[in-house]
Amino acid sequence: MKYAFFLGCLIPAREPQYENSVRKIAPELGIELVEMEGANCCAPFSIQSVDYTSWLALAARNLCMAEQMGLNILTLCNDCYESLLATNTLLKGNQELRDGVNAILADVGMEFKGKTDVKIFSDALYEDVGLKRVKDAVKRPFNGLRVAVQPGCHLTKPKRIHFGERTGVSALDELVQATGAVSIPYERKEACCGGPLRGIKDDVALSVAKQKLDSMKNAGAKGIVTVCPFCFIEMDMGQIEIKRHSNEEYSLPVLSYAELLRLAMGMKLEDWEIRAHRVPITGLLDMAEAK
Amino acid sequence: MHEVANTPRGRGVLACIQCGRCTSSCPVSRVVPEHNPRKLMEMIILGLRSDVLGTELPWYCLSCFTCLDRCPQLGDVGEATFAIRNLAVRQGRIPEGILVQARSLLENGRVVIPSRMHSIQREEHGLGKAPTVDVEAVKKILKRTSFDRLVGKGS
Repeated sequence: MKYAFFLGCLIPAREPQYENSVRKIAPELGIELVEMEGANCCAPFSIQSVDYTSWLALAARNLCMAEQMGLNILTLCNDCYESLLATNTLLKGNQELRDGVNAILADVGMEFKGKTDVKIFSDALYEDVGLKRVKDAVKRPFNGLRVAVQPGCHLTKPKRIHFGERTGVSALDELVQATGAVSIPYERKEACCGGPLRGIKDDVALSVAKQKLDSMKNAGAKGIVTVCPFCFIEMDMGQIEIKRHSNEEYSLPVLSYAELLRLAMGMKLEDWEIRAHRVPITGLLDMAEAK
Repeated sequence: MHEVANTPRGRGVLACIQCGRCTSSCPVSRVVPEHNPRKLMEMIILGLRSDVLGTELPWYCLSCFTCLDRCPQLGDVGEATFAIRNLAVRQGRIPEGILVQARSLLENGRVVIPSRMHSIQREEHGLGKAPTVDVEAVKKILKRTSFDRLVGKGS
């Protein structure tokens, strides 16, 4: 399976450890990642807040690049996923809108044709690689480790407009179970982490994060697993900030799904990757056991 | 109301019946009671233009779209937030955090660029440089859409 690999802004700039885990496990799962040199920002919500047309044109330029490569896009970020998928859906379904965006793209020698699809990492694993191949790759399962899955909003929402019947949360749950960990039920599982307001209304962002962390802790989680780089920061860094403000401590280590799977596949995380987690993850590292 | 309804993401206001399900499902309303999406819709419906564009309320939205999926009228409240923000930006009202990202986009083609520490980390551990961006293409697009003027960087 070959994809146009859309890294976005946040992951290469702030979470290279997430990127590294994906690059390490991809070949083992038959995934080939083709770099998208020259791609621009996906135009996330901050940019959509400024101007509608700029959003569509910037996102569409990335889609056009993938079309020219003849590949579907693979993204690791919920916000990139929402922006690119929404634009793809809107432009495929509305000729007038497409014509307007294409008039702008003509300035940069591009034309949107509607010939690519956008997948987030977990959906690609579930739909293209398949659960069986993921299970077969697991050599050191986490025996019953209880984790709270933080799917992040834009894995599935808004269902009605862009995401339709995409597998999303249940696929991620099954992928987590495939590593031997248990995805526990908890209240407000599909609620927002608060991350989108980080840097805009920091106190609100943290209060929303706290609601989630309380719920996870009450449900008996020993760790958090997410696919979204914004959720990662909010859940990980958020715990440090909450401790600073209110002295409340959750001690819930946060892993990206790629890291969880990498460990379960019997690979080690390097020191610099372990240190990239603010809440120490050392307790989780040796929990993956030989079959 | 029609000024909002006539924008691409604002049509949902026409369907609002003020039931309040958006507010009851809003994660921000739980911690900031003043953030009340139903009330925001009411202000739009009543045509309180300067209040709507002047209030901070639209900027409290997380864009989690829970309200949108739960609206019994298919009213797209979370979408209307973007319609209001786009109109507010045209009045020169834009929060600092958003302005910083918008200007970075204009300059670098990205909203976040690697810090020195992360760049070194990438090189050291075999990830190489972050993928390149065609900044000139981004600038061309954003000039054409007048985005540069909206964020105070246009000519």
